Amino acid sequence: MGLDALRIDKKITFYLAIFLPILAVGLAGCGVDAPQNTFAPAGEVAEKQRTIFYMAMWPAVAILIGVWLVLVMALIRYRRRPGRPLPKQVHGNPVLEVAWTLAPLALLLGLAVPMVATVFDLGRNPKAEALRIRVIGHQWVWEFQYPTIMDEKGKPLTILGTPDRPPELHLPVGREIALEITSGDVIHSFWVPRLGGKMDAIPGRFNHMWLVINEPGVYPGQCAEFCGLLHADMRLIVVAHEEEDFQRWAQEMLARQSKGGG
Amino acid sequence: MATVSQPVSVLEALRRVRQEAATYRGIWSWIATVDHKRIGILYGVTAFIFLLAGGIEALLIRLQLATPNGDVVSPEVYNQLFTMHGTTMIFLVVMPMASAFFNLLVPLQIGARDVAFPRLNAFSYWTFLMGGLLLHASVLAGGAPNGGWFGYAPLTEFPYNPGHGIDFWAMGLQILGISSMASAFNFIVTILNMRAPGMSLFRMPVFTWMTLATAFLIILAMPAIAVALFQLEFDRLFGANFFNPVKGGTPLLWQHLFWIFGHPEVYILILPVMGIISEVLPTFSQKPLFGYPFVVFSGIAIAFMSFGVWAHHMYTTGLGPIANAAFGVSTILIAVPTGVKIFNWLATLWGGNISLRAPLLFAVGFIAMFVIGGLTGVTHSMVPSDYQQQDSYYVVAHFHQVLFGGAIFGIFAGIYYWFPKFTGRLLNEKLAQLHFWLMLVGFNLTFQPMMILGLMGMPRRIYTYPQGMGWDEWNMLATIGSFVIALSILVFMANVVVSLRRGEEAGADPWDGRTLEWSIPSPPPPYNFRRIPVVRARDDFWHRKYVEGPGGRPVPVVAGGAYEKHGHQEDEEHIHLPSPSYFPLICSLGLPIFALGFIFKDYALVAAGAVVILYGIYGWALEPATEG
Amino acid sequence: MTHQPRLAETTLETATGLDNRKLMMWLFLASEAVFFGSLIATYLLYRGQSLQGPYPEDVFNIPFTSVSSFILLMSSATMALAVGAAQRGQLHQMRTWLLVTPLLGISFLAGQAFEFTEFYRQGLTLSSNLFGTTFYVLTGFHGAHVSVGVLILLSLWAAAMLGKIGRHNAINVEIAGLYWHFVDIVWIVIFTLVYLLEPL
Repeated sequence: MGLDALRIDKKITFYLAIFLPILAVGLAGCGVDAPQNTFAPAGEVAEKQRTIFYMAMWPAVAILIGVWLVLVMALIRYRRRPGRPLPKQVHGNPVLEVAWTLAPLALLLGLAVPMVATVFDLGRNPKAEALRIRVIGHQWVWEFQYPTIMDEKGKPLTILGTPDRPPELHLPVGREIALEITSGDVIHSFWVPRLGGKMDAIPGRFNHMWLVINEPGVYPGQCAEFCGLLHADMRLIVVAHEEEDFQRWAQEMLARQSKGGG
Repeated sequence: MATVSQPVSVLEALRRVRQEAATYRGIWSWIATVDHKRIGILYGVTAFIFLLAGGIEALLIRLQLATPNGDVVSPEVYNQLFTMHGTTMIFLVVMPMASAFFNLLVPLQIGARDVAFPRLNAFSYWTFLMGGLLLHASVLAGGAPNGGWFGYAPLTEFPYNPGHGIDFWAMGLQILGISSMASAFNFIVTILNMRAPGMSLFRMPVFTWMTLATAFLIILAMPAIAVALFQLEFDRLFGANFFNPVKGGTPLLWQHLFWIFGHPEVYILILPVMGIISEVLPTFSQKPLFGYPFVVFSGIAIAFMSFGVWAHHMYTTGLGPIANAAFGVSTILIAVPTGVKIFNWLATLWGGNISLRAPLLFAVGFIAMFVIGGLTGVTHSMVPSDYQQQDSYYVVAHFHQVLFGGAIFGIFAGIYYWFPKFTGRLLNEKLAQLHFWLMLVGFNLTFQPMMILGLMGMPRRIYTYPQGMGWDEWNMLATIGSFVIALSILVFMANVVVSLRRGEEAGADPWDGRTLEWSIPSPPPPYNFRRIPVVRARDDFWHRKYVEGPGGRPVPVVAGGAYEKHGHQEDEEHIHLPSPSYFPLICSLGLPIFALGFIFKDYALVAAGAVVILYGIYGWALEPATEG
Repeated sequence: MTHQPRLAETTLETATGLDNRKLMMWLFLASEAVFFGSLIATYLLYRGQSLQGPYPEDVFNIPFTSVSSFILLMSSATMALAVGAAQRGQLHQMRTWLLVTPLLGISFLAGQAFEFTEFYRQGLTLSSNLFGTTFYVLTGFHGAHVSVGVLILLSLWAAAMLGKIGRHNAINVEIAGLYWHFVDIVWIVIFTLVYLLEPL
């Protein structure tokens, strides 16, 4: 009896102890030293994706709190006590059950509308004036090619990572980037969380994704599809510049590439 | 010794083995058993041992990830660890645990003496054991599989994975698939055909309903992975081109086939446990399940809808916005029947007379944890946000929330609930409470940080991570949590050992239960029911104990039951039970031999395996099902 | 009382009215439908996608395959005759058809074997292209199923010759018949989609 009451208090304490870390999600999302933080978007695509996440997250938190409250209240209010008669044998309440079938349905369909709209927005073809980048995954380094930036021999500017150094993908801010993603061997996945969600690199096909970067900065990323032994080491770094700085960087790299024998 | 007498004495020895097995004593009585209760215990104990193996693999994973740049294990070993952990937990723990419950409970809940095909039932168990052993034998043959439990091609194709590990994985899963399907056929026929008189489908306990739904899912989903695994092995062993981009094949074919199986599979994992919860809550609230028809229909709806959502595992593979949007909508919708169940469970508790014993604690833990898992699933279904979440620790958090916070907690609810029925003894309540709280704290410490890690950009399946990502503290927390879970499992094991020896005697009906299994002694006699009951209502046993009094409250009936018991009267001696048989085991033994032959391209071994299987089948077909 | 009936026993009362073993065969066939459906879907996905030959039009001999398909179709007819004879207790006819059916099945398999060796000779292997891969695996699994059916039918015939099959346990023949007809229907689907619709 007294023990039961103790258990209930423990129960509330523990539920709070569980709930608080979840609350910390929002707090943790405030950046700090988290270079791949999806809650610190630095590009249009990542921002839209975070918005969609919040649309689902807040109702989810509300429902979670609601369910837990009902649970705890039931356990307190209706716990078995000696001398208490057997409860009324309620079999159901069709009206209530239909209501709690239709209400979630309505909520979910409501969520589906902006969700579908964003899917088509993010899945559209890149603009014609976008900067094309070809991304090729290899076990276990990334390769980047700039098909529209060519050296004297007509070879596109190419950046290849090494096992010790992740490659740097330099990009201009404010301009649409059109990624064409493929693989030279197994399936990889290109992911720079602060810029946007991921897209798989699949051998034998090109997958397309567009990005826009808001501000100059350094944005790390890594392979997000298990690709074998050193999957964990297959990293990359996006370095975003203002347009002029980007052009200067490109010219420098091209010169180096031509000299190095292409 | 004349050679003439040799064959006779061998036959005589085998006949004596069968006779001894029929006495329910000794090792032969376990090896040749066809009794569903014994098979259930075999499944449960074996699955628990595999739980320990999978758990140790998890602890090693967590040790490696506790700190950045960890070097507890090499990358190769790490990749084998997470492959084995996932494969083990899904196929060798949760599924067989559910089979343990199906076996122990379904015949009792429908008022039958055994399942429709007792020898096929034994075969299912032995085949499960063979599949699990074959999978683990890979360690002796050059290394465990390392392609993940999902085995994406082309990483699992021969050029990128020339060792035998993947072959052991594929063959092991095929054998496990045979076990599951045999079991599923058996239980569908049992549930449809062998219910006691008066037990219409809508008078069946919800656990039996969920068994039926799960079994249908198994028989319709497993063939897809069987085909995928055959295709992978044809590529690996015989140079086919199913997933070979060089010859025009697409790796996406593997993913489609795998997930057409894989998504129904996760419902195969959770529906039985939802059935368990639907039994425990009413018993410990002393009122019926709220909205039985809705709960049953939502289970059926989940089963149907599970076939229409598979590509939500493939949002980032470039299927295009139309496919992504369509699967996004279908996935969002599957949350509806799941939500209905949760609300119905809450309404079952509400207004009840709730006893906070271990089974109820774990059932409440299930609801609290599963609802988080379900809601994170809804966030996954929001396709654009899934582009960030996919392949990150957010996914790892989500599925552990539903499979551990859900399925495992539910399985423990079932264990604490039904252990007294099958052993005659209650598990110790204080140790059970300790187990529960330790497991709840440990579980949350381990997996809530993973939600944060995923949202902070930590991908999954990585053997290490660098400093400076903001991931260090969360990983350390998760590792600590995993050891708290381990501790809770040790407490449970101690409880079982102590209680088997000197646990409180349970009697037939320690919980004031509602369903037929509580109407027979604990442990049940081999024939289950002396008289096959005639069923008059849902929760028939409850209605024999209580009638409805004023205000709809139950009033105990003094003696003899609320209505006269009719039914078959049988003397114990005249109840015929299926005879034990060792042919199911022989058949099962042939399967790994057959598979090993293919793995090592030793066709003599393939032939030998085939001979053993055929010998088993013919022996089985020709032996009489009952002796005398 | 429940136990697995042996060959010599009658059907027990069941809640659905369907014999346990017959219900199980239907369930098994449902799973087989998904199995073959996946293999056929794979074939159709890769149809026309081979990067190099031999292509179907290079190797197919529709007249030949039509004949062996006809033989398999006929075996379904003889199977039905076997079932009918068993149910009527006409043991001699039952034994005859129980032998003829698997023999027709063996003829079909012989035709398949001949066809495969011909294709192989013309350079179509499992590895040569997508067509070789998907064709051999699909028709190979079908052939394996026919072989199992042949084994089952020959076993039933042997049991019948030993006097162990009759009207009282005709259900065994019926259940074998369900399996045999299913395998035949799968062939009709394969023959149509793979061979006949090829020019499209």
